[in-house]
Amino acid sequence: MSSVTPAIVSEKNSDDLSDQTLIHIEKLNAWYGDFQAIHDLSLEIPKHKVTAFIGPSGCGKSTLLKWINRMNDVVPGARAKGRLTIDDDHQGQRKEIDVLDPNLDVVGLRRKVGIVFQKPNPFPKSIYDNVAFGPRLHMKTSKSELDELVEWSLQKAAVWDEVKDRLHGPALGLSGGQQQRLCIARAIAVGPEVLLMDEPCSALDPSSTLAIEDLIFELRSQYTIVIVTHNMQQASRCSDKTAFFFEGRLIEAGNTEQVFTKPKNKQTDDYVRGKFG
Amino acid sequence: MSTLPSAIVNQDEQYLVDNARRRKQLSIWFYFLCVAIALISVVILVVLMVSIWSQGQSRLTTDLLTRAHSELEIERSGMWPAILGSLFVCGTCALVALPLGVGTAVFLEEFKPTQKVLRWIHGFVQLNIANLAGVPSIVYGLLGLTVFVYMFNVFGQIRVNESAGMEIMGYKHFYQVLTLEPGHVVFAPQTDPTVRQITFDEPFQAVDPDGNPIEISIWTPGTPKPTDPEIRRRTVRSGAIGGTITERNWYYFRLPFDKSFLSGGLTLALVILPIIIIAAQESLRGVPSSLREASMGLGATTWQTVRDVSLPAALPGIMTGSILAMGRAIGEAAPILVVMGAAVAKSSGPQHLMDDAVTMPVLIFNWAGRQQDEFKELSAAAIIVLLVILLLLNSTAIYIRQKVQKAQS
Ligand SMILES: Nc1ncnc2c1ncn2[C@@H]1O[C@H](COP(=O)(O)OP(=O)(O)OP(=O)(O)O)[C@@H](O)[C@H]1O
Ligand SMILES: [Mg+2]
Repeated sequence: MSSVTPAIVSEKNSDDLSDQTLIHIEKLNAWYGDFQAIHDLSLEIPKHKVTAFIGPSGCGKSTLLKWINRMNDVVPGARAKGRLTIDDDHQGQRKEIDVLDPNLDVVGLRRKVGIVFQKPNPFPKSIYDNVAFGPRLHMKTSKSELDELVEWSLQKAAVWDEVKDRLHGPALGLSGGQQQRLCIARAIAVGPEVLLMDEPCSALDPSSTLAIEDLIFELRSQYTIVIVTHNMQQASRCSDKTAFFFEGRLIEAGNTEQVFTKPKNKQTDDYVRGKFG
Repeated sequence: MSTLPSAIVNQDEQYLVDNARRRKQLSIWFYFLCVAIALISVVILVVLMVSIWSQGQSRLTTDLLTRAHSELEIERSGMWPAILGSLFVCGTCALVALPLGVGTAVFLEEFKPTQKVLRWIHGFVQLNIANLAGVPSIVYGLLGLTVFVYMFNVFGQIRVNESAGMEIMGYKHFYQVLTLEPGHVVFAPQTDPTVRQITFDEPFQAVDPDGNPIEISIWTPGTPKPTDPEIRRRTVRSGAIGGTITERNWYYFRLPFDKSFLSGGLTLALVILPIIIIAAQESLRGVPSSLREASMGLGATTWQTVRDVSLPAALPGIMTGSILAMGRAIGEAAPILVVMGAAVAKSSGPQHLMDDAVTMPVLIFNWAGRQQDEFKELSAAAIIVLLVILLLLNSTAIYIRQKVQKAQS
C-alpha cells in the first residue's frame, strides 16, 4: 500500500468514495456574531481517506473544521445551522451523531474526532504526560496498559525512536516538528476515528513537513483525516479528496487528481495554478 | 538609482557618523541613569535598615520574643502575643482570601459566559474588582466593623464584659460563687441564660475549679461556722450572690464576631482579595489559549482543563501575587486598628475563635508613639522581627514556587 502513490489510490477508489461517507454536511451555515463565515455548504467526507480543504485565507476552512468537533463552542457568538452528522458504528449498529445538537455529549464527540492545530501546542509537562493526558481523562487503565498505549501512539506518530529515551523529559524541549508529531500522538492516544488537522505543517521546515505527510499517508488506513492546507503540493501529494472553498462557499469538491488536473470550475483552476489567493 | 527618494540619496556622511556616536553616547548615559535610579532605592532601603538596626539591636533579646507587653516592666516587654496574633489574623486572611480570590479569577477567566446577559454581569463584576483594588484599606476597616464586628446589630448589641449576641457553640455559662474558705470559688451551672445573677439559699449541685462535681451546703449566719477547710470549701453563706462566668472552648462561636481575630482576618481578606484576584487573572490570561484548545480538543471538560492545564500553568504567577498580597496583609495596621482596636495589653495569643488579639503592626504603632525611650527601642526591635518574619514567609513561598516551576517544565 505504501508504495502506491496517493493519486493512483484515489483514482482506484474514486467510485466508492460516496458510499463510504463518514461525515455528512448539508446546507451548513455558520456565523460569528452577525458575520456569516459559511454559506449553504454541503460536503461529504469519505471514511478512511484524506480530505484536503483548500482556499484563500479567511474563506472559512478552519471554521468548518472546528465545527466538526464543536471547538467553536467556546467562541462567543459562534453559531451554526444546517446538518452535520457523523456515522457511528456502535456495536454493529449504525447510528448517526448529530454534531450540531445542542444536547450532544461534546466530550464524547471530541474523543471520536481529534484535532491537531497549526502551531504545535504540547502541554508544559513531560512527553509521557502529554500523550497520557487524553487517556487519563477518558479511560480507566493500569500503569502498564497506559505505558503500552503511550508507546503505541508515539510509534504511530513516528516519534517513538526520537523520544523513547526521554519520555519523562519536558515536551517543550523537542523540536517543532517533533512537537507536532507528539501532538498527533496525543490526539491518537484517545482512539479517535477522525483526525482534523488545521495546517499542521505550516510552522515546520521542509523535512519535518515531509515526515508529517508520510505519517498522514500511513494513518489514513485507520483514520478518516481532514487536513487544511495552503500548500497545493501537499494537498495533491497526500489527499484523496479535495474541497476548494471561496468566501465561505464550497466551490468545488472531488477526487484530488481531478480537482488539480481537470477542475470543473474556473476559480478552482485559477487557485490551484496559483493565480490568486 | 534615480528612483530613490532624495532623503536617501543626499546623505551627509559626516552627519551619519556623528549622529551614530551621539546616539551611542545617549544610550550610555541612559544606562547610567537607570543604574543610579536603581541604586537610590537600594540606598534608601539600606539607610532604613541601618537606622532601625542601630535603634533596636540592643532590644533584640529573648524577652522580646517570649514575653508580653508590660507597662510595669517596660524593659522586659515583649511581642510574643503579637507574633501569635499576627499569625492567626494572617492565617485566617490567607485561608479565606486565597481560595476565594483564585476561585473568582478562574470564574472570570475560564468560564466566560456566551449569553449576553451573563456576559454583562461578568463585565460588571470585572469592573468592580478593578475598582475595589484601589479602595484605601481604612475603608475596608470600616466595612469590616459593620459587617463582621457588629453584623449590622441583627444578632443583638455587643456590651462590655457581657457575653452578648447569639452564642452558637463551644461555651458554658456558670454562676461563680465564693465559699467560706477564703479565695476558693465553686461554679453552679447556669440554667437560664438571661439571669445574670442569682442568690443561693438552698443546697445545690456545683463543680469545683478542677471540674469535679460536688454537693454544696448552706451556712446561715448565726449558726456555728464550720472549721474544717474541706467542709468550708463545700459550704456557701446563705444569701451569697453568684455572678455569671463563661467557659469557652477553642471552637467557641458567636454572632456577631465582635473585635475578634476572626473579624480582623476577614477584614484583611477583603483588603487583599482584589489584589489576589487581579494577579491570578493576569497569570491565567498568560496561559496560551492554544493549551486550552488542546485540552478541550482531547475531550476534557472545562473543569478538567482548568484543573490539569490552566491552573498548573498559571500557578507560579498566582503564587507570586499571593506572596505579595500576604506581605501587605501582615504589615497592614489601619484596618486592624479600626476593627480590633488599639489595645496591646493582651498577654497571650488568641484562645478561641472569638478571642481578641494584638498584631505586630498595632503593637509597633503603639510602642513607637510612647514617651519612654525603652518603648521607642522596642518598637525598632519589633520592626526588625516583623521584617525577618516577612522575609522568612516570602522566601519559603518563593522556594515552593521554584519547585513547582521546575516540576512543570
Ligand atoms: N473568533 C472569530 N470571531 C469572529 N470572526 C471570526 C472568528 N474566527 C474567524 N472569523 C472570521 O471568519 C472567517 C473565516 O475564518 P477562518 O478562520 O475559518 O478562515 P480560514 O479559511 O481558516 O483562513 P486561514 O487560511 O487564514 O486560516 C474570516 O473572515 C474570519 O475573519
Ligand atoms: Mg485557518
